[in-house]
Amino acid sequence: MSAPARKSRRYLFNLFAWTVVLVIAFPLLWMLLTSIKPQSELFLIPPALLPGEITFEHYRRLLTETPFLTYLKNSAWLAGGTTLVVIVIATLGAHSLVRFSYPGRERLATLVLFTYLLPSVVLVIPLYLLMAGLGLANTLTSLIIAYTTFALPYALWLLRSFMKAIPEDLESAALVDGASRMQAFVDVILPQAMPGIISTAMFTAILAWNEYLYALVLVNSDAARPLTTGVINMLVTSFNIEWSLLMAASVMMSVPLIVVFAFLQRYLTRGFSAGAIKG
Amino acid sequence: MAGIRFDQVSKRFGGVTAVNALSMEIQAGEFVSILGPSGCGKTTLLRMLAGLERPSAGAISIGGAVVNELAPAERNVAMVFQTYALYPHMTVAGNIEYPLKKRRVPKTERAGRVREAARVLELEALLGRKPRELSGGQQQRVALGRALVRDPAAFLLDEPLSNLDAKLRTHMRAELIRLHRRIGRTMVYVTHDQLEAMTMSQRIAVLNEGALQQFASPQDIYARPRNDFVAGFIGTPSMNFLDGRLEGTGADRVFRSGDWSLPIGALRLADEHPDPDRRVRLGVRPEHVRLDAQGEPARVILVEPTGHETILVFDYSGNEIVARMDGEVSLEPDDSVRLSFRVAKLHLFAADDGRRLNLDDS
Ligand SMILES: Nc1ncnc2c1ncn2[C@@H]1O[C@H](COP(=O)(O)OP(=O)(O)OP(=O)(O)O)[C@@H](O)[C@H]1O
Ligand SMILES: [Mg+2]
Repeated sequence: MSAPARKSRRYLFNLFAWTVVLVIAFPLLWMLLTSIKPQSELFLIPPALLPGEITFEHYRRLLTETPFLTYLKNSAWLAGGTTLVVIVIATLGAHSLVRFSYPGRERLATLVLFTYLLPSVVLVIPLYLLMAGLGLANTLTSLIIAYTTFALPYALWLLRSFMKAIPEDLESAALVDGASRMQAFVDVILPQAMPGIISTAMFTAILAWNEYLYALVLVNSDAARPLTTGVINMLVTSFNIEWSLLMAASVMMSVPLIVVFAFLQRYLTRGFSAGAIKG
Repeated sequence: MAGIRFDQVSKRFGGVTAVNALSMEIQAGEFVSILGPSGCGKTTLLRMLAGLERPSAGAISIGGAVVNELAPAERNVAMVFQTYALYPHMTVAGNIEYPLKKRRVPKTERAGRVREAARVLELEALLGRKPRELSGGQQQRVALGRALVRDPAAFLLDEPLSNLDAKLRTHMRAELIRLHRRIGRTMVYVTHDQLEAMTMSQRIAVLNEGALQQFASPQDIYARPRNDFVAGFIGTPSMNFLDGRLEGTGADRVFRSGDWSLPIGALRLADEHPDPDRRVRLGVRPEHVRLDAQGEPARVILVEPTGHETILVFDYSGNEIVARMDGEVSLEPDDSVRLSFRVAKLHLFAADDGRRLNLDDS
């Protein structure tokens, strides 16, 4: 292929890629722009892409006149709490599934995956009854437990593939060097598994942050409502949808995720190829 | 310092028997090599000794006490892994220091010992590097350093020099021997390299398919191999084997293979009255084959000069015979010669179980 031909090919490819990006990003852009338009500009015909006047009024109202901050705090607790519980259990569990030999080990691993295949709707009623029975109805704890039921199997499998890639001799060496099982785990296995743990933690946090169904069914007080259900509940009624506030809320819900992604994305992409490469 | 004892030790992985009813006693302070083909169970044996693998049967003792139930940390042995197993997230210094940290050696003392180990292994310039920034040979030396920095009851070394170049290997071999002489610790040294085993160790254990074949001094192993496996495994080029039958007894005994026969009356057998027509294998070391005008006719197939000696392959009554002769011989392929064997140095093995039949004075 000649140089100009190659150049125009690359040009075409770039054009294509950017078109795709634009199509995907457009709703996000629209969300952002709508959130800073005055209410009066929302329903203009024909619609205007850029706001005629920029206003942060919706953000102010959201933060001062609604329970938005409570929901945000709840969501943060949920994401943090679920991630902590899931990562601690999954890291230890994955290590056990990879390193120790006990009867039924492989079957156990498969069984865990099986629970992941169960649709959430099937579990939501039993879980509700269970939580009510435990006196945990309407608490953040009940949601953390519920989220753990679907995040844990997934995290366990992801971490298992990371742990499998760590050579057994590393741990053996630590044991011979005088470490106890737990010390070898902390000194040698954890640092090696850290990229996997970080990406698994991110997946878990995102799952918990975006969860809707369980939050809708298990919690119906504002004190324990996360952003997903809270925002819909307060802004979408059968008479009216507060579009401006909804968009402002959506922007603020996305920001934490985008920040986390930006900082940890190199771990995240590594998570996708877990086990494929060593070290 | 501690002796090591294996008592009927077996290890099975599912259907695979990696070590089979092995009994062996290593003296305190002895330097023992474990030699055997790939997959014969050498690493498994060391891992059981270190406490990383639990024997399926049998007892292992270190320093007179059975250690089957002890965790690796409680056995106080140092091990160099075949795969090096360096901690990737620690520097060279961190790797070497790790066992000292775990044994709560005071910080001030640790630094000195790490430096000393690094000096012996010529690693001083690399102390700040991470393992992935090292060559294979350098990594191997760090692995060795992590063991040498300790003061264990025994050293277990799993092919610790396999990745070094010839010069460094000779140097490290000498260092290990010197170290052994200085601190007198028990050393169990796994190797593929016969020369290494022969030159370094006081005794060699030859393993095959998980079973101990012979455990003796290098001289004994070479001169009096207990079976045809050991005989064929030790020595390069390896021993020649001729299959045949024994006829006659005493001074009239002959070895017969097809229509060719060899009087071996000079050879003394442990059992002077074997079954008539006993099937045996005759073993001839390449250095015991010589040119002899009185001998049997043979044809040269291959000539491999190596400098100070020449390796020759002959067609000898239908058998391929390898001979080791001095570098002066001037033979060409297809030359016809006459060969004989030094009868007193021949080895006889039973054809069925490979057992050595010679009578050995000792
Ligand atoms: N964890 C294990 N699970 C199943 N089989 C194993 C395991 N470890 C070793 N084996 C088997 O046991 C036998 C002995 O293995 P081992 O590693 O001890 O051999 P080796 O003598 O060290 O070989 P090499 O010289 O190649 O290092 C082999 O057949 C091997 O496949
Ligand atoms: Mg091995």
